[in-house]
Amino acid sequence: MTFEERLTRLEEIASNLEGDVDLARALALFEEGIEMLRTAAAELDAAELRVQKLIERADGTFEVESRD
Amino acid sequence: MTGRRAPRGAESGADDFDLFAEAAPVARGASVEASVEIARDTGPDAYPGETAQSAVAVSLLTQTARDVIEGAFIPLWVRGEISDFKSHRNGHWYFCLRDSTAQIRCVVWKRDQRGIPAAPDDGMQVAAFGRLTVYAARGEMQYAVTKMEAEGDGLRRKALDITRARLEADGLLALERKRALPRFPRVVAVVTSPDGAALHDIVAVFRRRRSSVRVVVVPAAVQGENAPDELCAALDRVNRWGGADVVIIGRGGGSREDLWAFNHERVARAVAACHVPIISAVGHEIDISICDLVADHRAPTPSAAAEAATPSADELLGELREVSLRMSSATRSTLRVQADRLRHAGRDLSGAAGAQLSGRQNRLESIAGRLHTLSPLATLSRGYAVARGEGGATLGSMSAFRDGMRFELIVRDGTIPARVDGSPRESQP
Repeated sequence: MTFEERLTRLEEIASNLEGDVDLARALALFEEGIEMLRTAAAELDAAELRVQKLIERADGTFEVESRD
Repeated sequence: MTGRRAPRGAESGADDFDLFAEAAPVARGASVEASVEIARDTGPDAYPGETAQSAVAVSLLTQTARDVIEGAFIPLWVRGEISDFKSHRNGHWYFCLRDSTAQIRCVVWKRDQRGIPAAPDDGMQVAAFGRLTVYAARGEMQYAVTKMEAEGDGLRRKALDITRARLEADGLLALERKRALPRFPRVVAVVTSPDGAALHDIVAVFRRRRSSVRVVVVPAAVQGENAPDELCAALDRVNRWGGADVVIIGRGGGSREDLWAFNHERVARAVAACHVPIISAVGHEIDISICDLVADHRAPTPSAAAEAATPSADELLGELREVSLRMSSATRSTLRVQADRLRHAGRDLSGAAGAQLSGRQNRLESIAGRLHTLSPLATLSRGYAVARGEGGATLGSMSAFRDGMRFELIVRDGTIPARVDGSPRESQP
């Protein structure tokens, strides 16, 4: 799941929780949301920047070479 | 040799006019004199054309004149006014360059026109760089021009107007064409010089904002004669590769001439043909290029392009806090309603049913406890502060404060020691 998908799902969970939802469902959604928040926040912490270079081979195929 | 001082790329029109205002063409007369000497030494009739009987063909005369003239002049910048400009069917340009007392016929061969921003108009004051030759078919002197600049940067302004009009006619400047940038690109292709300031700035911004992204540099010259071709080729490569989510094309600041590649029509068309959304960042804030007009997003600098391309980690953290706040407050109010109901139901029940209910209540309480630990984080992220007294107790009411009392303020990113200054006052309803 990408960060974007997680954020979208979290927005969805929040909207559901704000609507008319029964207790069992609310608790399940809440648990799912907490788990997802934790993963998303950890992902932000682990953010990694990679700098590479695009190289075209003679046969027209491409290679991405690390630059660091 | 003043002629050699004429700059190759000629930075600005005004300077150039000054630079060669006093310059006199330097003829290397030696070869002319030498051939005359040889003629005298070798006696009568020793060379073609000395008598009517040995008359030379016209073509030999003009050919010789051409050799002498081409050998006698180094390439120079010449200034004058354009007249009789014609763009011939064969693609070459013909015109006269004149001042108040003289004129010279000029040509710009098709292959040499790449170095000139636009065709000049009659009446323009220009400086033209070229070499003097003889056009044998007409027996005329001709100035073969390879570079030209007009007073007041007229040629560049004309080129911009023409290019803009052509792109406009093809709908490439239409606002409806502009695509939205993806919010979370994983791969950002950067079309620029691999050693330039622009790339350095872009990477620095991604690093500072802790953006989780792959930067793929697609190298291209960003100034000089080859820059337009290399920029087009790099954009074509990005398309054929297909791995980028968004593209940044640009370079750091420079002179008008340095930035000129980004005003070429074919570069603009390559930008328009980019398969994914593209951000243009050419020079500084004040520089607007044709590429900027065609791109989906115009950034004033390469750094700004990097900021537009990806969200910062802080920005995303803020969104997570926002959503966690919504989740916890919504869940809390659901719990409150349900807990009240349970309490009412519990009074009326006993035995097994009551035990089951109290089990549910315990679960509710444990969830509520987690909500409690979650909520201050969310609240603080919106700009509120929590006051905490000795032993960590939250001070939630004015009655908890006394004049001079020490406490702590907890804000989003830290703790501030504080002291009450004056008597607490009740808020006005």
